[in-house]
Amino acid sequence: MKTPGEQVIESWFAKGGWEPFDFQREIWQRYRDGESGLVHSATGTGKTLAAWLGPVIDAIDHPQDGLNVLWITPLRALAADTTESLLRPLRELGLPLDVQLRTGDTTTAQRAKQAKHQPFALVTTPESLCLMLSQKDPQAVFGNLRCVVVDEWHELMSSKRGVQTELALARLRAYVPNLRTWGVSATLGNLSAAAETLVGTGGTASIVKGFSGKEIIIDSVLPESMRRFPWAGHFGTQMIPGVIKAIEESESCLVFTNTRAMAEIWFQQILDEKPEWKGVLGLHHGSLDREVREAVEMGIKLGKLRAVVCTSSLDLGVDFSPVDRVIQVGSPKGVARLLQRAGRSGHRPGAASRVTCVPTHAFEMVDIAAARESAMAGKVEAREGVMRPLDVLAQHLVTIAVGPGFDAEELYREVKTTRSYRDLTLSDWDWTLDFVVRGGESLRAYPEYRRVVRGEDGRYRVEDKDIAHRHRMSIGTIVSDAAMTVRYLGGSVLGTVEESFLSRLKPGDKFIFAGRPVQFAHIKDMTAYVKKVSSVQGAVPRWSGGRLPLSSELSQAIREELDHARNGELRSPEMQLLAPILELQARWSAVPAENEFLIERVESREGHHLFFYPFEGRLVHEGLAALCAHRISQHQKVTFTIACNDYGFELLSVTPIDIESEIERGLFSSRNLGPDILESLNSVEMAKRQFREIARIAGLVFQGYPGMNKSARQLQVSTGLLFDVFNRFDPENMLLQQAQREVLERQLEQSRLAAALTRLSESELILTAPERPTPMSFPILVDRLRETVTNETTADRINRLVDELELAASSLT
Amino acid sequence: MRTQLAGEEVEFRPDGTLLWPSESTLFVADIHLGKGASFRSKGLPVPPGSTLATLEKLSLSLDSGVQRLIILGDLWHARQGKTAEAVEQFLSWRSRVSVEILLVEGNHDRKSGQLPVGSDILTVPDGATVGPFRLRHEPEPMDEGHVLAGHLHPGYGLDGRGRQSMTVPCFWITPGVTVLPSFGTFTGCSRIRPSESDRVIVTTGSECREVPISRLAESSFC
Repeated sequence: MKTPGEQVIESWFAKGGWEPFDFQREIWQRYRDGESGLVHSATGTGKTLAAWLGPVIDAIDHPQDGLNVLWITPLRALAADTTESLLRPLRELGLPLDVQLRTGDTTTAQRAKQAKHQPFALVTTPESLCLMLSQKDPQAVFGNLRCVVVDEWHELMSSKRGVQTELALARLRAYVPNLRTWGVSATLGNLSAAAETLVGTGGTASIVKGFSGKEIIIDSVLPESMRRFPWAGHFGTQMIPGVIKAIEESESCLVFTNTRAMAEIWFQQILDEKPEWKGVLGLHHGSLDREVREAVEMGIKLGKLRAVVCTSSLDLGVDFSPVDRVIQVGSPKGVARLLQRAGRSGHRPGAASRVTCVPTHAFEMVDIAAARESAMAGKVEAREGVMRPLDVLAQHLVTIAVGPGFDAEELYREVKTTRSYRDLTLSDWDWTLDFVVRGGESLRAYPEYRRVVRGEDGRYRVEDKDIAHRHRMSIGTIVSDAAMTVRYLGGSVLGTVEESFLSRLKPGDKFIFAGRPVQFAHIKDMTAYVKKVSSVQGAVPRWSGGRLPLSSELSQAIREELDHARNGELRSPEMQLLAPILELQARWSAVPAENEFLIERVESREGHHLFFYPFEGRLVHEGLAALCAHRISQHQKVTFTIACNDYGFELLSVTPIDIESEIERGLFSSRNLGPDILESLNSVEMAKRQFREIARIAGLVFQGYPGMNKSARQLQVSTGLLFDVFNRFDPENMLLQQAQREVLERQLEQSRLAAALTRLSESELILTAPERPTPMSFPILVDRLRETVTNETTADRINRLVDELELAASSLT
Repeated sequence: MRTQLAGEEVEFRPDGTLLWPSESTLFVADIHLGKGASFRSKGLPVPPGSTLATLEKLSLSLDSGVQRLIILGDLWHARQGKTAEAVEQFLSWRSRVSVEILLVEGNHDRKSGQLPVGSDILTVPDGATVGPFRLRHEPEPMDEGHVLAGHLHPGYGLDGRGRQSMTVPCFWITPGVTVLPSFGTFTGCSRIRPSESDRVIVTTGSECREVPISRLAESSFC
């Protein structure tokens, strides 16, 4: 028996010649029954309608005033588009329900209006939701709330923003005990954890699967001929014609690169080859000015752009229905990432998603083959939430204290219902509460310190208006880099570049930015002024944090792929093309089987090289390399030069290393791992950098905002300085410990490193001593060369090396 | 590190001070007393101890027969930082050091109100002359004399390979102006962009060394 609301919806579908999908009907049914849950379906298969029409049906059957639905989106840029797609069915149905935006761009006047006449639904971001929770009477705002929908939940949940969202959801459930929460997601590994994170430990969530089977085509542009020693980036220009052909075959195309610098380079090289595409080829990355990015997004949406070279900045975002093909330049680094990017194409009904991978060096063909195998087998990376970050908790406590205030015991119980804080100890809670009230142990005796105050009624509040104001300005967990604005002398803003890049430029130096050659003029007030030049020769800025490591799932798949190739099973065109290189690798050294760990010892004029191949991704290799260097130097006086890539790492020394006995002594033992890593790296500097984010989130520093007055500016302080001050005057501060923990977990991936060590110690060791660098070691070697010498000479040196090796390889065949 | 400056022999010291031995004079800039307290008064939880540590550090700098201390601005950070405790710590320190103290007011001093009673500090005007030197807070050159100044909290960026890079406090010597690094324990530094005619002397806390100013030298340092 269908309700009147369901009948309205069903007939609306029928009028369009459609019928709801089973999973959509299932969700409406479950919604009516008061359930919460997670919708998991491929991009473009009607997830939004599935989650949205439940509350709409409810509104037809049981109309209710006030704010009924909160729709949380991870990107502010998505909010306007989402609002539009939620409004469309309402308009067509002729329902008098309103959907409005509530983001950082919403003006005070609009917010006041929304408070007076609450819309049926608000589309908002986690940050803006927290701002609403910091109002004096959130009960009045959220009292009538029936449902929260969290869009792109997989994108949010594994970050501190996800934790912020979890805390906000727990708060909303306190106001509305029978609140329904629905998550919407396209790619997700561990669905049950995602569902539990959504509803908290007290709730239950059903998982509804829609379509996983939207057809995805993963192919690749392969080089016609191959040199045997391709170094990182070597394929670059050789691959351009293939990429241009792929763009020409498509109607509209997104070209993804892995770093912002790569995007700039590829944009330039495609234009060099196809000057007539000027104006229809776009460039999009996170450092470009928002207006520039929005113009490009609009261009794709309207089908005005032929192609856009972009970075992860377009992994999510508005629905680009004209896009029918995606190109991935370089290794996809992870299966989920590749699927996510593929899903940006083929939004038209019945169309397939198509992603074409472009290897930039030979071994990336293994990555592509392995990623395809994993994607087809449904082996996608799991997403894990961030566990118990005290900085986010501190911010939340102040947010609630700025708002209605809280009773400590009640809020503790509420926070414990989130998955992130379910194991929060009472002592950690007490420390955090003490921190926001008294500034922690070290400030116990300082009456001039005031942030959160305990009132006579026992409730905690923020009474000082300035403190409340500054906190509202600072809500959020995304910390922007110390970046400088780049602006034309004429006036218009191009975007931002990291200060460290600009600090090396002198007036008159040229560089390429936003796809344009510019000349550096001068710096004033944190702005770098540049002017247009015609020449295209010049450096491309390097933005830090651009290098993504291989995911552990893809690393595993790559080892399997090599194992197959070793047995002569060449299962894909990529592996077939790679076969001669693998043959040479086998002849000169070895291709490791899945249960083998290959180490190559090579002597050269440079010294003694040791190449290790764990195939665990760059970050793990950085940690492993530093760890090995540290452990060897414990009983041998030696200095190493270290290099690594996603497949292995190199230790270069002047004196030879007796690697067999080092391994026997426990070079790869996981004993004493934590202390050894901390000692082996410049962990203090790394923790200092990590502390930047923590200090900002926990409210230790105030970042400021445009147009703030001088007295506020006096409160600005670098977090590096603060880190030193805390280390000296309050070393027990738990936020310092959190910084160290986050360095270990996030930057060094300690748990992955430990797992790698266990695997390596169980593997069979294959030690070879090739006469010269092998196809596998060559890319590592070259990466190091590039870092130590200037650009022109690198190319020459590398070419010479390649020629030598080619000669050696062909004389042996 | 000893060197010639405006025809006088001076010593750049690892603690960020500049010693003029023939006149038994020590120059120091940007002390920022009470900075921690002023942050705390605004609800930012900065641990206490930096004012006392700064004064102790200054006592150590004064040990070698210095008779005159010249402060190139920003002795105090802000009005809110002049808590009873900070003032008490300062006056107690002042009673223990017997040197003459001169102060050129900095932008922070001007907003910090009167010096505490009993400070025993002579405030001199911007641009005051001492030998070949002109005393200023903000490093603007003058027609005559070599300007000694602070204000910028100069630091020099050392970029190592891999994920290492750091900024260290430095003296920045240009033809007409020498800028001292900030002295206070709760002060940071910001990167300068020296031109090739400049000299930069970095302080590591235990030693001073001059760094070559050229881009190649900068990137291959470490």
